[in-house]
Amino acid sequence: MSQVRDRPEIVVDGYPRRRPRWMEIATSADHKDVGRVLIAASLGFLFVALVELLLMRLQLAIPENTFLSPVTFNRMLSLYGATAIFFFAVPLALGFFYYLAPLQAGARGTALPRLGQIGLWLYVAGATVLFAGFLYTPSEAGVNPLAPLSELTYLPDNGVDAWAAATGLATLGFTMLAIDLVATLHRLRAPGMAWRRLPVFSWAAGICSWLLLAIGPVMLAAIAMLLIDRNFGGIFFAGGAEGAPLLWAHLSWIFFSGAYMLILIFALAALAEIVPVFARRPLAGRNAVIGSLAAIAPLGTLAWMQNMLTAPIGIGWMYFAMAMSLALIVPFGLILFNLIATMIGGTLHLRAPLLFAAGAVAAISVGLAAEIEHSMVAVAWRLQHTTDSTAATHFALVGGSVFGGFAALHYWFPKMTGRTMGETLARISFWTTALGTVLAFVPLFLAGGLEGQVVDAYKYFEGSGVDAYNLVASIGAFVLAIGIVLTLVNAILSRTAGARAGHDQWGGDTLEWFVPSPPEPHNFDVLPDVRSERPMRDIREAIARSAERPAREAQPVA
Amino acid sequence: MAPQSPGTDQIDTLLWIGFVACAIVVLAVNAGLIYALWRYRGSRGEQARPTGAGRRAQLRAGGLLGLFAAALFVVSVLYTGEARKTPATGEAGLASARSEPLRILATGQQWLWRYDYPNSAFSYYRLVVPVDTTVELDLVSTDVIHTWDVPALAGKRDAVPGKTGRVVFRAEEEGVYEGQSATLSGQAYAAMRTAVEVVSPTEYEEFVARQKDDIQAAQDRVVEQIESGETP
Repeated sequence: MSQVRDRPEIVVDGYPRRRPRWMEIATSADHKDVGRVLIAASLGFLFVALVELLLMRLQLAIPENTFLSPVTFNRMLSLYGATAIFFFAVPLALGFFYYLAPLQAGARGTALPRLGQIGLWLYVAGATVLFAGFLYTPSEAGVNPLAPLSELTYLPDNGVDAWAAATGLATLGFTMLAIDLVATLHRLRAPGMAWRRLPVFSWAAGICSWLLLAIGPVMLAAIAMLLIDRNFGGIFFAGGAEGAPLLWAHLSWIFFSGAYMLILIFALAALAEIVPVFARRPLAGRNAVIGSLAAIAPLGTLAWMQNMLTAPIGIGWMYFAMAMSLALIVPFGLILFNLIATMIGGTLHLRAPLLFAAGAVAAISVGLAAEIEHSMVAVAWRLQHTTDSTAATHFALVGGSVFGGFAALHYWFPKMTGRTMGETLARISFWTTALGTVLAFVPLFLAGGLEGQVVDAYKYFEGSGVDAYNLVASIGAFVLAIGIVLTLVNAILSRTAGARAGHDQWGGDTLEWFVPSPPEPHNFDVLPDVRSERPMRDIREAIARSAERPAREAQPVA
Repeated sequence: MAPQSPGTDQIDTLLWIGFVACAIVVLAVNAGLIYALWRYRGSRGEQARPTGAGRRAQLRAGGLLGLFAAALFVVSVLYTGEARKTPATGEAGLASARSEPLRILATGQQWLWRYDYPNSAFSYYRLVVPVDTTVELDLVSTDVIHTWDVPALAGKRDAVPGKTGRVVFRAEEEGVYEGQSATLSGQAYAAMRTAVEVVSPTEYEEFVARQKDDIQAAQDRVVEQIESGETP
């Protein structure tokens, strides 16, 4: 008993929790807690978006179906767009960025933690407002509520107001998170972590944050004008001589195009972290990949009028949009080229993260190839507003946020929870999701491209030649949903039952693998002195040298 | 949905050029991906080689991609320019439309298309035009944004309130061409369809004259009812 007095007085390990765990997380301004809640919430909204999608696909399974009324269909459509973009895809990317960028840059926290915390809770408030819309009436104005349909004259109930408030709150939250990330990456990098040594994923975090600082305020301005129009007698977007309906189209498409790019930048940067680790060799053309990611943000946003090629705008503007869209071929192509060049000649360990990464490359390639065609002006007059464009967007965004997001989830899950996700379930989920994606969206290419089936319509007519396409697409949507739900179940089960993970589960080269899994609140006990763009390899080699035995995961010299 | 107008011919050709370009991109990426996954699996027991693809390879790949993008841009501009040209009315077309196109006002409204002909006759849902004649549709809207889309005859264009969109086509063959609206415009959007009936010039002249007379007769009847005290 006398030994008790010999215990050290300061106990660092197992610091007592003062309040229940959920309250600690809910009130935390730690970037890891905020990031985890963002990721978990956005995966929850992925499930909600799936339910909305399946309801619409049920309605469209057979021609002239009466399962949903036109009004209910339009409400589902509007909710689906907001859920998928504002409450799943963008916050998922931001959650990963916010969790990982400070760790990768070697920071003990973020620069403006309260701002990030406010960002998270604005996003949660936005989601609450959107779904509180069910208490009265959700918006009927579509994925992008184009004025003047979204004006009070045409949709007098409160749905559009709820949509505008919800997406406005979420956008404001994203902007706050972006400010914090920019400040952190610019001011709090570890000693020696020069920009040229910053990991690709943290580069992407910086690029996407700057992008959000540009497009977020544009959307907020548009939403403010819409709310003024609807509630205070404004005429910004009113039809007729006094208003400018196309102004909403311009402003909102700037945001949506930027968000599209943000999701793809997130996915491709995650792949650029994952592929080298599982190919056991450094990323090919690292500088070219970073430069390409930086080029995608402005080019993709400047291509916003690619969505307006049927509108009455000058032909010069149409060619400008086409030039920006086609210019994207170079950066996107270079990134895909370098990802594959990294694989060729490597030793590929085909675990779940690499499997989902390969799926992401395949799906994104199909989606972006189709986007090439949609940006060719005369072809756009044929293909835009058809299900062909739905299919293109979904291939690119499912490839980015579902396949790319799941690759990131499987890769960083051990770091965030200390446990590994089940491999068997991951494989089953991958193949089901891949089959579902092909079945759900390839028929839409054909229905839109060959038969001209229009988007957003709650029904199609018998004898229009699209019956079989739509039936297959509806079946495919269910297969896709099963695949996605399997990964969500896998994540929930693995949080408590997964195999224990070490601090360096995969043999990564970046600094998040230097700290325990999950990391301590202050991230680093000791900040490593960064001497190269692969600091963890340096640390492993230093340990191996001091122990005078070969490193466990010896890497070939680049 | 075979093209039935000179403009749609160009669109169709460019569509297939674009399709080939897309197919090349998809095949190149996925062939490389599958080859890498199949050939370099860790179970084959090979050591990872040092990463290649240095600065020269990046410049070559980037240059190649740039050339590909530039070629697509030039081809698209050429075909789009052709597709935008206003074709001349042919021999079999309406004689009065030889010098300048037959102008018809197309008004989108929730959830119908109204067509106003030059002789002040009008029709709903069905647009009647003469064959081999250049027709210029001025697209306007009285409420929300609608998109006029008859894929066999022309590319789709928006009718935005306060603006005027323009569609030009010359139907090559007589027949009925189905179309629909292609921008979400509210509840009955899916049912907002239209049809273009292409007829001979004489039939067209007869149609607009008859339509004008019918409308006039209907209006006269209404006036008559009001003046005689009947409620119409």
